[in-house]
Amino acid sequence: MNSFFKAEKIVKKFGGVRAIKGVNFELKRGEVHALVGENGAGKSTLIKIISGVIQPNSGKLFLDSKEIKLLNPKNAHEMGIATVYQDPLIYKSLSVIENIFLGNEIKTKSGTIDWKKQEVKTKELLVSLGIKPNFINRPISSLSIGLQQLALIAKALNYLAKILIFDEPTAILTEIEAERLFKVIRKLKKQKVSILYISHRLEEIFEIADRVTVFKDGKNEGTFNVKDINRDKIVELMAGKALTENIERTMKINRAKNKLPIIEVKNISSCYYKNISFSLYPGEILGFSGLIGSGRTEVMQTLFGLIKQDEGEIFFNGNKFKVNDPSIAMEHGIVYLPADRSSEGLFSKLSVKFNISIPLLKKLKKKFLQVDREAEENLALKYIKLLKIKAPSTSTILSNLSGGNQQKVLFAKWLSTKPKVLILDKPTKGVDVEVKVEIHREIVKLAEEGVTIILVSSELPEIIKLSDRIIVMHEGTITGRFDTKETINSKNLLSAATGTRMIHAKIN
Amino acid sequence: MNKFLDIVANNRNIFLGLILIFLIFVFSFIVPNFFELYNISNMTQYGIEIGLLAFAEALIIISGGGGIDLSVGSLLSLSAMVIGVLVGRHNFNIWAAVIFGLGTGALGGAFNGFLVNLIKIPPLLVTLSTMYIYQSLALLVSVEPQFGNPMPISKFPNNYLFIGQSTILGVPFQALIIFIPIFFILNYYLKYTTFGRNLYAVGNNEKAARFSGLSVEKTRFITYLIGGILVGIAAVIMTSRISSARPDLGENYNLQAITTAVLGGVSIFGGEGNMVGVLFSIGIIVVLYNGLQLAGVNAIWQMGALGLVLIGSALGHNMLFQRAERLQSMTQLSVSKDLK
Amino acid sequence: MKKTMLAELFKRREFTVTGIIIILAILFGSLSSNFLSISNITNIFIQISSIGIAAIGMTMIIVTGGIDVSAGSILGIVAVITAKAALTGLPTPLILILGITTGALLGSINGSLVSFMGIPPIIATLGTMSFFRAMVFQLLGGRWISSFPDSFRRISTGNFLNIPLPICFMFFLAIIFTYYLEYRPTGRYIYAIGNSVEAARVSGIPTKRVLLLVYIFAGMMFGISGVIVAARTGIVQTNTGAGFELAVIAATVLGGTNILGGEGSAIGSILGALLLAIITNGMILVNLPALTEGLIIGIIIIISVFTDIMKLRRRRYQYE
Repeated sequence: MNSFFKAEKIVKKFGGVRAIKGVNFELKRGEVHALVGENGAGKSTLIKIISGVIQPNSGKLFLDSKEIKLLNPKNAHEMGIATVYQDPLIYKSLSVIENIFLGNEIKTKSGTIDWKKQEVKTKELLVSLGIKPNFINRPISSLSIGLQQLALIAKALNYLAKILIFDEPTAILTEIEAERLFKVIRKLKKQKVSILYISHRLEEIFEIADRVTVFKDGKNEGTFNVKDINRDKIVELMAGKALTENIERTMKINRAKNKLPIIEVKNISSCYYKNISFSLYPGEILGFSGLIGSGRTEVMQTLFGLIKQDEGEIFFNGNKFKVNDPSIAMEHGIVYLPADRSSEGLFSKLSVKFNISIPLLKKLKKKFLQVDREAEENLALKYIKLLKIKAPSTSTILSNLSGGNQQKVLFAKWLSTKPKVLILDKPTKGVDVEVKVEIHREIVKLAEEGVTIILVSSELPEIIKLSDRIIVMHEGTITGRFDTKETINSKNLLSAATGTRMIHAKIN
Repeated sequence: MNKFLDIVANNRNIFLGLILIFLIFVFSFIVPNFFELYNISNMTQYGIEIGLLAFAEALIIISGGGGIDLSVGSLLSLSAMVIGVLVGRHNFNIWAAVIFGLGTGALGGAFNGFLVNLIKIPPLLVTLSTMYIYQSLALLVSVEPQFGNPMPISKFPNNYLFIGQSTILGVPFQALIIFIPIFFILNYYLKYTTFGRNLYAVGNNEKAARFSGLSVEKTRFITYLIGGILVGIAAVIMTSRISSARPDLGENYNLQAITTAVLGGVSIFGGEGNMVGVLFSIGIIVVLYNGLQLAGVNAIWQMGALGLVLIGSALGHNMLFQRAERLQSMTQLSVSKDLK
Repeated sequence: MKKTMLAELFKRREFTVTGIIIILAILFGSLSSNFLSISNITNIFIQISSIGIAAIGMTMIIVTGGIDVSAGSILGIVAVITAKAALTGLPTPLILILGITTGALLGSINGSLVSFMGIPPIIATLGTMSFFRAMVFQLLGGRWISSFPDSFRRISTGNFLNIPLPICFMFFLAIIFTYYLEYRPTGRYIYAIGNSVEAARVSGIPTKRVLLLVYIFAGMMFGISGVIVAARTGIVQTNTGAGFELAVIAATVLGGTNILGGEGSAIGSILGALLLAIITNGMILVNLPALTEGLIIGIIIIISVFTDIMKLRRRRYQYE
């Protein structure tokens, strides 16, 4: 067995709940091993254990056939295990060199920092990753996120990492940066570095990984060679049942085309996007496809009044629409569900009914600005029932709900305002498969009730399934418009989303 | 122990109420004259002025974003001096002077609110600076034009004194007619109105509030404004009570206001706290102060004790908070939830 | 000297501050003949020695994103203790050590509250500010101390190579701490913590210990200031040091330390102290009433922080 790293019968409990139940896992030298699974399936916990951030309750870890104990991150670094997190953990105002070396400095005999040696080593590290080291003395905040991430990889390499763990690395990268990252990973493979790669994006796994392990409910459902498995099988293992969902959509494109557009965007530009023009027809589901960083979120936030465009105009029902503030958008019936529900969408420490009623406060008023509590309670109950939100009561604190239910509360919050235009930004991110299906059904139902929907999503199956038309964005511009059944397919979407070259091979 | 913490966490107000009763009990034994009407009246009068400042502080801290106000004491001095100088040296009508005093408080609060919310300077720095600016202004206002020295004012018309010195059925006027209504209004506003909701939303998650269509800056600005008005009201009550105005009136009130709010359950991180808890906390602080004073302890040790209470309540809050956190820590790889 | 990018950035801020100092010096010098006299300049420098030394400590605290408003109270306690020691005839070097140790101890209380108990710095130090002040009162027994022996007073009046001792201390400490903050790993850890505690922790940096150390260092600096102030003024009272922290924070902020953490330098803070002293001293010489001091310092802090914030807003990606 040429496994370089082995985890045997690992169990981890959090306050009585077993997050990982007797998991076995192994990693070979020089392989790229993908780790997939729904949120809460235990991947993050396993990663934390391997990085030394937490300790398992029982089980053993082996490196090169020798048993090891990882008591803290520094331990792990010494053993050659390093992690690159999704949110770049950087020292913003410090130089790239310092970001790489602090905590692991090259010191002179007297114990002071040897800046010269550190500079030389930094250059070496970056060059070995194929990057020109012309910025190493600048503060790391002046680097793009993609470069910051690469600097962190250099930092991991500096720990003589033999195992490199990536947690959703492409989530924050542009397409070009992701491609650069993959090049680097392939280089690392050649250097016999083992790579553990967590990702929700199954397409990437087929692109870059050698083997894939599926986690579900704290257990290892199986490790497979990427060559021997397909996407559907992986999803089935993740979810526990086949995701064969065919939603019938009765009223589709035709009806939308005959009416006047409810929103018209004419040539808006800002620092996040350029020359964006499109029309939104009442009752349709307009999909916005593209990779992360393509500027879609920013366009939507402009429609909602969170961002101001520098040029161009927006029209609502034919009238010029100056939306400087979310409240103006809300007055017109335009609402926005943000991509990051916990930091942007919800108040985790407050109750379910608080969260649901907050946009409606103005309407739930009695005299003296008093909030109509009965109305609020009824509202919350109504949506709990409608969306099948699993919550003990309307006063339950939001953070006690599961991710999927929290997302439903986010939906309830905006649905309660009876919007005319519902902008959904990655509405099923981090949500279990069952809830995902429920949300999809709800989206279709809303469209059939006459709500116009813009769906921003990075998941091709989702967006293909639900959208009447699809606009694709890439690095801030629109690169594709697809509005017939024939043209809406993953190949077209991907090619538009990636500019000219396709880095994602095929969807099985 | 853990169960105990749970109970406390869920019923903080009741817990505070019990401490208050306990303290009253203890002090009535240790200190003679504690329960005399005169003393209770005294305590109440003092408590009201502290109380109004504590309410101001509570609102500002709950609004989040690092909200705090170190300048309440200095603003108190300034407002008091404005009233005093207008009435004492320029022979204004007392009620006109009162309007100016309230206006000063409002202006001071608004200035803080402006710097924090429009210019986006951290509240700590803003109010640290305005603490000294307002104090300096108070001194400047108090300068006797003839002698060039800061001088207190003691010329107040008799028809003004009823605010701070009269009683109705034994209860001090300002308590019955001013403080208690204000408490009810503020409590009502926090608990039952849209404004209160806005405040808690903004204090809990600024970004989510913005994304929900709330105006974060406006909500926070209003709290600073209201805070300033409360300070102005306290200045009126105080000058009426002691029938004079001095530029150092508010010297120690900053610490007291913040301590009272924090003790009352207002989390320094924002989004948490209510007026009832602050009310009990005011009682505790006042009883503590009064008890120490009657027991012959020097005023400086009152402040010293207050410092200990502040640290103690912060520690207590931490224990409760950490327990709640540990109960919730699950499997998500949470990177950097900075509570700055 | 091998410089980090950080030092290079600061060269700019320190340059600005120095420029302003020169301009003001010329301005006040022309308004009042007294201003540029040797006695006045020496006066200024002696004044800033206590603030400058304390600012070195405050800088480290603010770089970590914290603050310490108990500086004046720590100064007070150390002043009382060293004064009493001086009266008992303890030799001066030992008195200095006593002062530093006491300051370290008091600083460790703050540090423990902040670092190990997790209490926000403003709250912790607001509390210790009052408590320590009460201790000053207690130690003095409600009286005051004066009539120090000459050996003690020489801490302030003495010279070394014709430069007053307090100023020598200040430069000495500035050099030591600049070296420490720029070249020693633990010194750089302070900046790391100020930038991202999470990143530091994950890199294996002992964040809690470093944070504690920062408050201890600051306590030591405040202690040294206390000794100097006692020696200089010749008297220690209950309110010795009250309000000191404002001047120290002002000096630190003026000197380019970012109130949000992550940036700052010892030299910058000393320049900030100098700038502050020139302003206050200049005000006196042009007959502005002493009462306006708080007003002006407060406004200066606000303006200074405002410009810092404006600068921060302009940062964008330069490298892709």
